[in-house]
Amino acid sequence: MNYVPGTASLIDDIDKKHLVLLRDGRTLIGYLRSIDQFANLVFHQTVERIHVGKKFGDIPRGIFIVRGENVVLLGEIDMDKPSDTVLQQVSIEEILEEQRLQQQSKQETEKVKMLALKDRGLSIPKADNLDEY
Amino acid sequence: MVLPQPSSIPHLNQLHQHPHHQLPPGPSSGLPPGLPPSSMLSYQQQQHLLRRGTAPMAQMNSHSIWENSMGFGPVSITLGMVTHMEDSPLMSIINEVGLPARPPQGRSDEGRDLSERVPPPRSSSPVIGSPPVRAVPIGTPPTQPMSHALNHQIHHPTAVHVRAPIQHRYPPPFPERLSPNTLLNIANSPLCRGPFPPGVGPVLSQIQRAQLLNSQMAGFPRGGPAPPLLPGGGFRPFFGGPPPPLAHRMAHAEPGSGPWQDGRGPAQQGPHSNLMSQKEKEWVTKIQMMQLQSTDPYLDDYYYQNYYEKMEKRQERERDSSKKEHTTKLITPQVAKVEHTYRPVAGSLGKLTVSSVNNPRKMIDAVVTSRTDDEEKREKQVWNKRRQILYTVEKMYSLLLEVQDFEKRFVQAPEEDREALLEQHKSRTLQLCNTLREKEWDDRVSDEQCVMIMSVRKGKRLISRLLPFLPSPQAAAVVMAISRNLPALAKKDKQDQVLCWLVEPVAAVIQSLCSSALTDLLQELQGSEGQLASVLHNKFGVTLLYLILSEGERMQSSDANCQLMDDNRWTELVFSVTRELLSVPPSSLSPPLFTPPNLLSPLLALRGPTEAGAAPGQATLLL
Repeated sequence: MNYVPGTASLIDDIDKKHLVLLRDGRTLIGYLRSIDQFANLVFHQTVERIHVGKKFGDIPRGIFIVRGENVVLLGEIDMDKPSDTVLQQVSIEEILEEQRLQQQSKQETEKVKMLALKDRGLSIPKADNLDEY
Repeated sequence: MVLPQPSSIPHLNQLHQHPHHQLPPGPSSGLPPGLPPSSMLSYQQQQHLLRRGTAPMAQMNSHSIWENSMGFGPVSITLGMVTHMEDSPLMSIINEVGLPARPPQGRSDEGRDLSERVPPPRSSSPVIGSPPVRAVPIGTPPTQPMSHALNHQIHHPTAVHVRAPIQHRYPPPFPERLSPNTLLNIANSPLCRGPFPPGVGPVLSQIQRAQLLNSQMAGFPRGGPAPPLLPGGGFRPFFGGPPPPLAHRMAHAEPGSGPWQDGRGPAQQGPHSNLMSQKEKEWVTKIQMMQLQSTDPYLDDYYYQNYYEKMEKRQERERDSSKKEHTTKLITPQVAKVEHTYRPVAGSLGKLTVSSVNNPRKMIDAVVTSRTDDEEKREKQVWNKRRQILYTVEKMYSLLLEVQDFEKRFVQAPEEDREALLEQHKSRTLQLCNTLREKEWDDRVSDEQCVMIMSVRKGKRLISRLLPFLPSPQAAAVVMAISRNLPALAKKDKQDQVLCWLVEPVAAVIQSLCSSALTDLLQELQGSEGQLASVLHNKFGVTLLYLILSEGERMQSSDANCQLMDDNRWTELVFSVTRELLSVPPSSLSPPLFTPPNLLSPLLALRGPTEAGAAPGQATLLL
């Protein structure tokens, strides 16, 4: 129940399982235990979920404190809903391997692209996810 | 068994309570066998014990302490502590304040009825109150129990800090190696602290726990003091929440098991739930509310306020008063407005220069002089004309907004200001009317001016908003002007398609017209040759026509001595209209925005058969 009617508040989300997407691209799933006025979040029993293609892997992380400014989006996970059967859970090692391969292939295509552009005398600056630095 | 010692260290109470079966038989004075003597504990550990007795104990690897003497240990240590630290600030406080009432000892022999124990406050400081403000930086959440929801710092005297440098605000997570018995201890210890009537068992059912939580939450919006279930502080047991049934907890004692494989359990009723106490939630909410304070909500949050007003009005209209479902609106505290205007000192000439850091000196007012070249004159004229129209529209808008807000401000204004406000309102309305006139001395609404204004999209919107506020002769004149110039307006509107905004206010005006005015209006609409045809091609035109006809119909049917039929004008006009309607093929007829109900059947019939014989028949129907 909302203490401040007519507004959105994280108070009602406490002690519920949430999925949060961070600005660096990580996906965390955990129980939201505490908040503050900056929407800093304290997650409990956190798991970092890595998705590669149709596979995903969970890395247990314990307790996470997320600074509010780094949150892209945050949503409650509906426990009653049947979980997605399309995705296949794999072990941590496997998913990390998959991720590494994905990064590698991405880098290779990027390299080829840059080379092709260089041959033509063009250059496209790389878009940086970490926009401050 | 609970020893008859002063329990001035409130948090230690939590360790007094343990279920019946845990008690070793017989009283014991002094330390239980499993407990290391207090002298063996380091100062730090002793401090920890004072505040969060059980936690460091677990860390001391004294498994036996857990099992045997959860209740005993700290009490015994207290004994030792008290003797060791006579000069401690704690002692001084105890001497100063006295001790809270102790439960009668006799109860310990009956069932372990500990439900009357007052819940301890969260942190180490004694019951007196919160530490002084200066000790706590602004951003920290409350650690002390707040007697009033939001002003905990004001009412409490300065208290001595009985806090060690390291604060364990949140207890360490679930210790791994616990026996079922200790789990049960933990399970029951927080539960026994609620002020339940005697006889309530120590273990709450799920429902009761939920009710407890709900009633905690429900306290806040009422704005009163904390609900009786939480006398001094948050419901803050050692592990932070009413624990789930035992089996459930056992499942989570192992770290290896998937954390959320059993759905909702670990979330709300887990061992780590309720990390945020009620007070902390209120604190965060308080900060959020503070950010919403404003001196002038209508200025800062205009759309929110208006939206809620509209919604409330809509709700009043739609629902009957028996159903009291009102969407809750956020009522923000209103901070008093501070007068910032600088009043010039009497006897001074002209504008006074107020110099500040940002404005060191007042600049000379720059005057714009326009110079036109002959070549660009015509172009500029056209452009200037448009700008002039826009300028007029803007001026009228500012007047209109003030007129529209008048009601709101009137209600809010104190008594003495109301006269002045009323005067202001009247003058504004007058100004608005005057802008519509072309020449200063001409009392009538100028056609040209209206058309000019309506040639701009914003102007059309302005007129639609303005019509309800104009006095009725002027409003009627405006509507006349619209209908007179409808073809031109329709042509100009081709790009914007916004004439239809005008339907509602124009309908309102039409309904207030008298019969002769209505006839005049219809005549204007027909205008010169061929005007009606073009009118019929336009959606707004058709709607307007239907509105007029339906109003005439209504007048005739309702008012017995209506003058509509007195001269033949109305009849003739209707005839010609019907003729026109029939001659125009239905496909090129624009569909109106809505068809007034009393015209529905005749006009539908009109559109169908196009025989000339039907025309008089339909006309008589209309009449």
